[in-house]
Amino acid sequence: MWRVTTFIQFAVLGLGLGAVYVGLATGLLLVHRATGIINFAQGAMGMWGAYVFAQLQVDGTLVFPVGQLYLPEPPGVVLSLFIALLMGLLLGILAHYLVFRPVRHAPVLAQVVVSIGLMVAIQALVVIRFGPNNIAVDEVVPRVDIALVGVAVSGRELVMAVLMVGLAALVWVYLQFTRAGSATRAAAENERGAALMGFSPDRLAGFAIMLSTVISTAAVILGSSITGLNPENYTLIVVPALAVLLLARLESIALVCVGGLALGVLQSELNLVSTSEWWPTWAKSGLDQVVPFLIVMVILFAFGKRLPSRGSLQTVRLPDVTLPRIRLLPAVLLIGGAALAVSLTSGQIRFGITSSMIMMLLALSYVVITGYLGQISLAQLAFAGAAGFTLSKIATAWGLPFPLAVLLSSVVAILLGMLVALPAFRIRGAQLAITTMAAALAIERFVFGNYSLTPPEGNPIAEPMIGGVNFAVREGRDLARLEFSVLVLVVAALAVLLFIRLASGDTGRAFLAVRSNERAAASAGINVRMTKLIGFGLSAFIAGLAGCLIGYSHGQLSAESFEVFVGLQILAVAYVGGITSFGGALVAGLIAPLGILYVVLHQLFEMGNYYALITGIGLMITAILHPSGIAGEVHRAIAALRRKQRGGPAGAGTADAAAEPGDDPSRKDPSHAS
Amino acid sequence: MPVEAEAGLHASDITVSYGGVLANDRVTLDVTPGQVVGLIGPNGAGKTTFVDAVTGFTAAEGQVWLAGTRLDELAPHHRRAAGLSRTWQSGELFSNLTVAENIMVAARPGGLRRVWHDIFGRRDRASDLVANVLRTVGLADAEETIARDLTLGQQKLVGVARAMAGRCGLLLLDEPAAGLDSAESAAFAERLRAIAADGPGVLLIDHDMSLVLGVCDRVYVMEFGKVIFAGTPAQARRDPAVVAAYLGVPMEASHD
Repeated sequence: MWRVTTFIQFAVLGLGLGAVYVGLATGLLLVHRATGIINFAQGAMGMWGAYVFAQLQVDGTLVFPVGQLYLPEPPGVVLSLFIALLMGLLLGILAHYLVFRPVRHAPVLAQVVVSIGLMVAIQALVVIRFGPNNIAVDEVVPRVDIALVGVAVSGRELVMAVLMVGLAALVWVYLQFTRAGSATRAAAENERGAALMGFSPDRLAGFAIMLSTVISTAAVILGSSITGLNPENYTLIVVPALAVLLLARLESIALVCVGGLALGVLQSELNLVSTSEWWPTWAKSGLDQVVPFLIVMVILFAFGKRLPSRGSLQTVRLPDVTLPRIRLLPAVLLIGGAALAVSLTSGQIRFGITSSMIMMLLALSYVVITGYLGQISLAQLAFAGAAGFTLSKIATAWGLPFPLAVLLSSVVAILLGMLVALPAFRIRGAQLAITTMAAALAIERFVFGNYSLTPPEGNPIAEPMIGGVNFAVREGRDLARLEFSVLVLVVAALAVLLFIRLASGDTGRAFLAVRSNERAAASAGINVRMTKLIGFGLSAFIAGLAGCLIGYSHGQLSAESFEVFVGLQILAVAYVGGITSFGGALVAGLIAPLGILYVVLHQLFEMGNYYALITGIGLMITAILHPSGIAGEVHRAIAALRRKQRGGPAGAGTADAAAEPGDDPSRKDPSHAS
Repeated sequence: MPVEAEAGLHASDITVSYGGVLANDRVTLDVTPGQVVGLIGPNGAGKTTFVDAVTGFTAAEGQVWLAGTRLDELAPHHRRAAGLSRTWQSGELFSNLTVAENIMVAARPGGLRRVWHDIFGRRDRASDLVANVLRTVGLADAEETIARDLTLGQQKLVGVARAMAGRCGLLLLDEPAAGLDSAESAAFAERLRAIAADGPGVLLIDHDMSLVLGVCDRVYVMEFGKVIFAGTPAQARRDPAVVAAYLGVPMEASHD
């Protein structure tokens, strides 16, 4: 057994991580107070300045997003710190004007999606500019041991905690005691209130984002001196910080401090306890992500509806949806075209086309859950992964034959999807996004990345056989067999057929009614909870099919295929393609990572992380300017062309039965900015 | 025979408290089939709260019976399925669906059992049903219009049509005529009578006194969360408490 002193020492060590949580959660709180936006990119934004700091310390290079400056010699810590915080400040201003201001009155969906786009883009930019590897960071706070109640503990973590709590206290003073701060709080209740106090809500928002970025930058710089810098970890550290934000009910800085430090200490102690003999091996991995997830769940179930939501002028609407119909000619052309494409190509190109079909399914699962049902789920890839890992177990260990194994695995995905739907009974919008992201991360680290469940060399998957015919992707030197592409095409076509049948029926209409107005839906007789369960189930089923196909296409499964980041990138392309239609999912499949466009571009030039950067930026642009995506714009252009051809006035073709007023019945109009 | 077993709506002792304030204080109200019953009272009297309580959208004490079935412990959509329909003051249509689709939502609200039929069953558009309810509210030619392109008055009429679709034993209409001009309002009164004559009872909340007193068989008047009067419109016009609480001026001034 350990002595009490060990516990105390680990508690103090945990304060270091806790200080980072305090800094990020304070930033999140400030942004939320001033704009109503939950900024998923908070960690990534803080990370940029931290990288600038680290690079200055390493070799005196001042790195900008484009270009760099070579200083004659590495500047001192204080100067480097100043430059890094200045960079954070500039990033905050840029983010305000280019990203957050345009969506301040947009639906929550657009706000969440935009901040995720920013997060993906900054993470990619960091990898491009600073490289993907861990950078060791010099100590900012010197390492000294202090005697605390007679125990020698690390002074560095104590100092960090004091520093971050101090910064948080400054923010509290700003919000509580300055006129601008009161105006910011007033704006959170009512934007006119701030205007009446003589402040532009817009400027206040800009200042808040700037300040929050500086504080988060400081937090990441301090944290990185303990852990080193790694692009993925500090982007995703926003998830525990979001848990702290929820714990603080989105408004109490005191609770942010207590909660952040407590979470850090708790994780540190868990790390200690999990080294003991009685702790099961399978439960050692991913604890640091499971704890925040559990906290989020507990808070949401305990407080759920009482969490304040910011009152703002929600005058804008979600992108429109047209109920789909099955038309024979387009279906034949599409399936025929895909069949022709895979049979005329080979090797990498054929593999790219096949991957596009699989990615189309993943995008379609986002269309169901977000486009139709209006729920933000960031766990779609976790559903896919759950099905894939189940497949590798049951196809190999139990020897279940192909179609049965896939169906059974997808049923596992359905069950997981319905489990994630449970929080959606009580919460929606950004809070649901937080929950699903925390869930996805917990599943990724605790299950997929757990070596006692998933061997590091990957899970082999038995080849799909039907009646003695082998549909495996590889055979000998052929890395993309036609048989496999045909298999994928058939599965994808069936899944799309299923989607269209449901979406065009009573189920799809019920989805759209719930998306539009839950209260009115219930008063019209819709069982809102059941409808959400069906929606999550359907989207998880489609994602599960995709997960199984991903498994077959690699011949084995590893955690990397289902990382949260890959999921966010697919969300990005789904949004760019068009989140509200099958056509959008189709476009998304074509432009998705590993899809055909990616493969072709990759052969032309080395893209590396530029692809992720482009998807992140594309996501932001789409969410801000064209919420119905490429497919929606094309649809609109075709409709406009048809009207022109008929020679009638605008809308005459579709609206002969329209009532007198509001005589612009163009349904495709996704106009979204106010 | 106890009242609970009778046809129509019987709401008894409905009590709603918001943070210690009694928004509804033991409100008891009956609507028999075929009748149009009015519920009037000054702003903040608790009329909409009563509708929310009866339809399950706010937590309330008291009992709600419809056609002999007790509903007060059911979820809103179950009450709707039992025939208790409501409209909303602000319309609350599904704004990016067409009028026809809005009505279809209520006529066939999906659910787990419907999934199988959606995938494998035959499609029918139930266009007769949609056309019928739309004709009832006088919007026969608006089927394919997107709901948000309608005027507020028209949106409320679609809300009434939506409430009538599917099984409907009782209509609770929350200010359905606000936003209509006086001619439209008069036409709406005619339709209300026709609807009630067809079977379902109607509870009408409105500020338009000539509409309420002109069309209703019985009237309830609320003030500060309590029912202060129940009787015929003619009695209401003469009742001093009603005149003092709500009308302020003798009825003759506002009625014709």
